Amino acid sequence: MSWRLLLGGWWLSLALPAWSEVLVIEAALDHDVAAPLLRAFEQAHPGIELDYRDSSTLEVDSRIVADDPPDVVISSAMPWQMARTNEGYASRLESAEARAWPEWAKWREEVFGFTFEPIVIAYRLDLARHMTPPATHADLHALLTEERERLRGRVTTYSPAESGIGYSLFQQDARYSTRFWDLVAAMGNAEAVLEGNTRDMLEGISEGRYWLGYNLLGSYAMVWAQEHPEVIVQVPQDYALVMMRMAFIHRDAPHPAAARQFLDFLLSREGQRVIAGETPLFSVRPDVIGPYTAQRLRDQVGDRLYPIPLNASLLAFVDPQRRAAFMQRWRREFERR
Amino acid sequence: MIVVDGTLKTRLALWLLATVASLGLLLLVEAYLSATRAAERAYDSQLEAAALTIAEAVQWQDGQPLVEIPLAALQIIATRHQERVFYAVLDARGEPLSANLDLAIEKRWRDAAAERPSWHDADHRGQPWRLHGREFDSAGWETQDPVQIWVGHTLAGRRSLSGELFEHAVTRFLAMVLVAGLLMFLAMRVALAPMRRLRHQLRRRAADDMRPLDARVPRELQELAETLDNLFARQRNSRDALLRYTADASHQLKTPLAGLQSASELALKSEDPNAWRRALGEVHDGAARTSRLANQLLSLARLRHVADASRLAPVDLGALLRETLLEWADRDLAGAHDLGLAPLPARPVLVPGEPWALRELLGNLIDNALRYTPPGSEITLGLNDEEESVELYIEDDGPGVEPSRLARLHQPFERGGRQDTEGSGLGLAIVDSIARRHGAEWRVENRTPHGLRITLRFRRLPGASVA
Repeated sequence: MSWRLLLGGWWLSLALPAWSEVLVIEAALDHDVAAPLLRAFEQAHPGIELDYRDSSTLEVDSRIVADDPPDVVISSAMPWQMARTNEGYASRLESAEARAWPEWAKWREEVFGFTFEPIVIAYRLDLARHMTPPATHADLHALLTEERERLRGRVTTYSPAESGIGYSLFQQDARYSTRFWDLVAAMGNAEAVLEGNTRDMLEGISEGRYWLGYNLLGSYAMVWAQEHPEVIVQVPQDYALVMMRMAFIHRDAPHPAAARQFLDFLLSREGQRVIAGETPLFSVRPDVIGPYTAQRLRDQVGDRLYPIPLNASLLAFVDPQRRAAFMQRWRREFERR
Repeated sequence: MIVVDGTLKTRLALWLLATVASLGLLLLVEAYLSATRAAERAYDSQLEAAALTIAEAVQWQDGQPLVEIPLAALQIIATRHQERVFYAVLDARGEPLSANLDLAIEKRWRDAAAERPSWHDADHRGQPWRLHGREFDSAGWETQDPVQIWVGHTLAGRRSLSGELFEHAVTRFLAMVLVAGLLMFLAMRVALAPMRRLRHQLRRRAADDMRPLDARVPRELQELAETLDNLFARQRNSRDALLRYTADASHQLKTPLAGLQSASELALKSEDPNAWRRALGEVHDGAARTSRLANQLLSLARLRHVADASRLAPVDLGALLRETLLEWADRDLAGAHDLGLAPLPARPVLVPGEPWALRELLGNLIDNALRYTPPGSEITLGLNDEEESVELYIEDDGPGVEPSRLARLHQPFERGGRQDTEGSGLGLAIVDSIARRHGAEWRVENRTPHGLRITLRFRRLPGASVA
């Protein structure tokens, strides 16, 4: 009897690895960009099959509260991620990797910022031919004011209403300087076109519709610039915001064990090395070497990197009244003429 | 018998431990409560600060209060422990103008907050929260309604802080116990040093060293030292007495033995059988005397050696007296004397005693009286029965004793200044020993006009009068 049981248990343990689990990842992160990372994970964990669903930040946020929740949630809309975590949708990750993760890039060991993506200005070579390309926010403001006629309709930036990232970035910009509103007014005067994501902005620049883009995700823009020589990427010289993708395990994850493995992989040296070497997402870990690391970026750009702080203050950005007030002011400034 | 019952150090240490443990328990309870209180106060004031910061951001616009939640307020609520954050701004009707969680604020809490700033413990999604609410008067151009601001957070920070404070208190307490224990150990060593010195001094003493102690002792040990001194003194006395007694006994035995030797030597030199016969007679008498002396020495030694009052049994003193007297009246020694018994009490006189010893006592008294009085003297024994005690006396009308020697009569080999008798000088010493064994007092006095009276007062046994 016990012999049979023992045999049965042995058979089961042998069979388990072959019995693959489907891990559902809901992410606001382009599949193309994340692909090397996902491949590396699947190689390291052959028993887990990934169901990677790539969508917009606002869609991702709505999926969190849906009836069939995903296992892992990844999004660049930091305030929303923080709000969901605060509401208790994230489950704590108890692991050595989680404990060792830098304090400034995690909250309650429930949600983790695992990338380090600078926010950049991108412009078309045409612009450089006609005027001095901007290197700082002040340059940009001056350029928009002085070359308003030539740049009319040729400037693009995020739509704060459509994009969670865009809204967060503008909020953060407004925190640093009240002159940001002058910039918004100048963009409004230049009849800037508002896009929903970085990819659309980059395509517009490549096609020649736009000459100048403001507040693009550096991670996408840098890769784009490598393939499209007409696009130049400029990390602002006065201050450059840094956005972090935030990942957490859903409280009601159907496959919590696999989800923990995935998140551990994201934070692990192995996962971060893939991020640094095969994606433009920039690794957070200081012990990882590759073309895309926070350390290398700091060496290039200096101390002017200002990561959006990953703490409770993010919650204010999703406060409806605050958001409404911000949007109202945005519109007022943008449409001032 | 010496039974070792723990050590003083253990006893002191145990008492110290018990004191420290009970005090410590109280201290720890107090420390826990005060740590919790301190943590509560610290974090409550954080909530208060956050509420004030949010209140600062309330502005009226188009008849509606508008709040731009300040980032700092949220960080203050979250604290460095990254607590979950709750905030809500309620209008005058209690409807939320702005809130980040669906945490319901009860009506009575709102009412309480309307009175004064209030704090509440709440439960939200299975987690305990601490909430703080206060009301602010705010005025706009169109309306002037108060708003209530509620903030709250989870309790990790409070627990961590109170745990930390408590831990510190415990650490301080343990350190104090350790230091106190160490000091107590040293203090015990110092305090017990006189005892150790005394012990060493006693251990180093030679077996026959009976001098008084020469030691510095604290007041608590004074009595013990004095008792020891006393014991030494008694030992010294008894040893001296023993030595004196042995010396005296040897001396006493030497004389008759020397007599025997000289008598037998003289006889051996003579050829005359009459001389031999005479010498043999002398030897016989001498041997009898010596034998009697040896017997007396033996019984005295025995009396002094065995001193155990537990074998005392009720003895009828009257019957004993009559028996002994009859026995003595028949002896040759008593032939020349008028030995008599005063009328005895009608009832039996019971005293606690050993019959053989009492018989020895009476024998010695009678023997003494016979030997130290001239023939024809009148010797009378009697009993005076009293309530609590009984008086045994023997009196004669002999020459008596020189008053200056009366006090020394009980010492061995004391003959009351008389060398003309065959007595050994041990009789009254034996009487003295037996009297002591029976707890009896005795007294020697001269009679008028002449003679000696010896009185012994025994303790009567209660209930003897009934028998």
